[in-house]
Amino acid sequence: MSEQVSASTGATVLLVDDNPQNLKVLYETLKDKGYRLLIANDGAKALTLARRDKPEVILLDIMMPELDGYQVCQRLKAHPATADCAVVFLSALDDVDAKVKGFSLGGADYISKPFQAQEVIARVGTHARVIRLERELQQRNRQLENDQSRILNAISEGIYGLDASGDIIFANPAAEQIAGSSAEALVGRNFFKLHFGYDCQCPEVLQNGDVPVKATCDLGVPEHRRGIEMLRADGSRFRAEYRSSPKLEREALLGAVVVFRDISDELERERELESARELVSQQREQLAHASRLTVVGEMAAGFAHEVNQPLTAITNYARVANRIMSGEHADEVLLQETLAKIEAQSHRASEVIRRIRQFVKKPVTGKEVVSIATLLEDTRQFAEVDVRNNEGGIEIEVEEPVPEVSADPVQVQQVALNLIRNALEATRAAGSSQPVMVSARLTGQGCVRVEVTDHGIGLPEDAEDQLFLPFFTTKPDGMGIGLPMCRSLIQAQGGDIGFERPAQGGARFFFTLPLAVNSARAVSGAS
Amino acid sequence: MSDIQQIVYVVEDDEAVRDSLELLLKSDGKAVATYEGAAAFLADYSEDMAGCIVLDIRMPGMDGMELQKKLNELHALLPIIFVTGHGDVPMAVDAMKEGAVDFIQKPYREEALLEKIEAALTQDREQRQTLGEQQEILRRVKTLTPRESEIMARMIAGQANKVIAIELEISQRTVEIHRSRVMHKMGTHSLAHLVRMVLSVKDRIDVG
Repeated sequence: MSEQVSASTGATVLLVDDNPQNLKVLYETLKDKGYRLLIANDGAKALTLARRDKPEVILLDIMMPELDGYQVCQRLKAHPATADCAVVFLSALDDVDAKVKGFSLGGADYISKPFQAQEVIARVGTHARVIRLERELQQRNRQLENDQSRILNAISEGIYGLDASGDIIFANPAAEQIAGSSAEALVGRNFFKLHFGYDCQCPEVLQNGDVPVKATCDLGVPEHRRGIEMLRADGSRFRAEYRSSPKLEREALLGAVVVFRDISDELERERELESARELVSQQREQLAHASRLTVVGEMAAGFAHEVNQPLTAITNYARVANRIMSGEHADEVLLQETLAKIEAQSHRASEVIRRIRQFVKKPVTGKEVVSIATLLEDTRQFAEVDVRNNEGGIEIEVEEPVPEVSADPVQVQQVALNLIRNALEATRAAGSSQPVMVSARLTGQGCVRVEVTDHGIGLPEDAEDQLFLPFFTTKPDGMGIGLPMCRSLIQAQGGDIGFERPAQGGARFFFTLPLAVNSARAVSGAS
Repeated sequence: MSDIQQIVYVVEDDEAVRDSLELLLKSDGKAVATYEGAAAFLADYSEDMAGCIVLDIRMPGMDGMELQKKLNELHALLPIIFVTGHGDVPMAVDAMKEGAVDFIQKPYREEALLEKIEAALTQDREQRQTLGEQQEILRRVKTLTPRESEIMARMIAGQANKVIAIELEISQRTVEIHRSRVMHKMGTHSLAHLVRMVLSVKDRIDVG
C-alpha cells in the first residue's frame, strides 16, 4: 500500500485506482491545492483508509480487480462512518448505464477518463466543500440536540409535552422519576387519566372544569397551581406544583407543555415552619399572660382597695337600712334609696372584678375591631388603682376622628397599661404633680398612634440601644421584661413601638396599630 | 364650755363610702360634716372645731398622713381616726406615732367604728375641758396687775410675806393686800390650788 499525506490541513481526498500511472496523474493534478491526499491501489485498502480518515471526497475507479468501484461504493455507503463522503466515479466507461448504476449506488458524481485536470480540480473542490458544510451542519445539529437533551435531562422539574387531547408525547427524565415510570411507558398515555384518574371519554366527568391543565389543552389558557394532588403510575399520590403553557403554531393550539414537581417535602417543611411559628406565637401569648398575672399581682393592694371601697359602703348602707327598719315609723323612701345604693355599689365591686378577669383571662387570640378611645378609657380606670399616689392622675386626649383598629384588645390594653404605669412611676419618682398624658390620633400612614407622655426625669443617654432589650431596666426593682414584652406584642399586631424625648422633659412612649379594614377603607375614601 | 356640739368630720375621697358613712353616723345620732379631700378640710378648718376626724389614709392629691402633719403644725387638737385599707398597716403605725388616736381597717364593723369614734369624742371633750380650764386660768392671770403678778410668782416660789416685803422694799401689810387680791382674782382660797393652776399653764405664761 502506498499512502502519501499532503501537508494540507484542508479536506481529505482519497484517490483509488489499480493503475499506478493513473494514481500518479491524479496525485499530480490535486497536490498543492490545499487537500490532504490519500491513495489506495485496490478496493480493500480504499475501505480501510476511508474508515480511518473519513475523507470528504473519494475519487473511485470502477474497473478494479477483486473489489470493483461499485462494490467499494456500496460498502462505503453501508458503513455509518463513511456513508456521507462524496464518491466520484472514475472510469473509461463512458456509457449511460454505468453512470446510472454509479448514481444509484450513492455516487455523487462521475468523471470520464481520460480526464481533464481542470475538471477534476473543479469537481473535487465542489464536492469537498459540500461535504464539509454538510458535516459541519450535522455536527451543529448533534451539538444542539445534545445541549437540549442535556438541559431537559438536567432539569429537576418534570416536563411533559402533551398533544391537544392530553396524550403524552414527550417526558424528560425528571418526569420519569416523579411519575415513577419510564419515558417509553409514559409516552402515548393520557396525562389526565394517568395523573388525575380523569377519563376524557366519560361525559359526566367532562363537566368538571377543574381538571388541571385541561384548560391549557382545550382553550390555550396557561395555568399555575400549587398543592395539587397527582397520581403516580403505581396509583400512589403526591402533592405537586405545576405550570402549563399552550403549545401554539401560528393560531393553532397543538397541546400543552407541563412543567411540574413533587412538593410533598416542601409542603411538609412549610407545615413544620408554620407549626414552629405557631409555637412561638403560643409562647408569646403565654408569656404575655404570665406577665399580665404579674402586673395584677403588683396591683393587688390597689385592687383590694378598689373592691373594699364598695364593700365598705355596702356594709354601711346595710346598717343604715337596718336602723331605718327598726325604727317605729320606717321611712320607706329612704329605705328604697339606701337599697338602691347598695345595689349600685355591688355592681361597682363586680365591675372591678370583671376588669381584672378580663385582663388576666387566657389569650383568646384573634384580632377584633377595637375602639381605641374605649380601650384607653378602660385602661385608665384600670391604671387608676395605682394613681392614688399620683396627684396629677391620668389625662386622655383622643383627637377625633380616631378610626377603629384591628388588634387583640387584651394585649393592647396590656401594652397601654404597662406604658401608663411606667409613666406614673416616673412622674411620682420625680415628685411631679403633672398628669400623665395619654393621647391617640390618626397618622398619615394609615394607622392609629397612641402616645404616653410623663413628666419624669427622662431617659438615660444609652436608652436607645437597650430599652427594648430583655432584662435591661432603669428601675431599682425592675425586671426588664415589660418593654420587650410590649414590643413583641405590638409587632405581633402589625404595629410599631418606640419612644421620644419631648423638648419639655420627661419621656414619651408611643405605639401604632393598623386600622381595621372598614376604617382603612373609610379613611382612604375620605382623603 | 361642755355644751359645744361635737361633730364627726369625715374626710374621704370615695363618694359612696363618704355618703354611706354620713348616713350611718347620722342614724346613730351624730352630727356629721363630710369633705371629699384633705385640702377641702384644711380650707375649712378652724380652731373652734370640736369632735373628731375620720380620715381615709389613702387619697389622691394630699393623703391622710399629710393632712395629719399639717394639722399638727397648726396645733390642732381634733383626734384623728385613720381608715386604712388592706396592707396599709405600716402607714397606720406611722400615723399613730404622729399622734393619731386610732385606726380602723376597711371594710369595718359598725360597732368597732362607733366605739372608736366614741372614744375619740370623749378624748376631745376631755382635752377641750382641760383646755377650757386652762383658758380660764389664763384669763384670770391676765387680770392681774404687774405688781400682783410679781407677788404671785414669789408666792408660788414659796416666799414668805416678810421676805417678799423686804426684797420688794414694801411693807408687809401691802404684801398681804396684794396677796389677798391675787387669791381673789384667781378665784381660790388655797395656795396649793393656786400653784397647781399656774403650773398647768406655765408653758403659756411668763411666770416670774
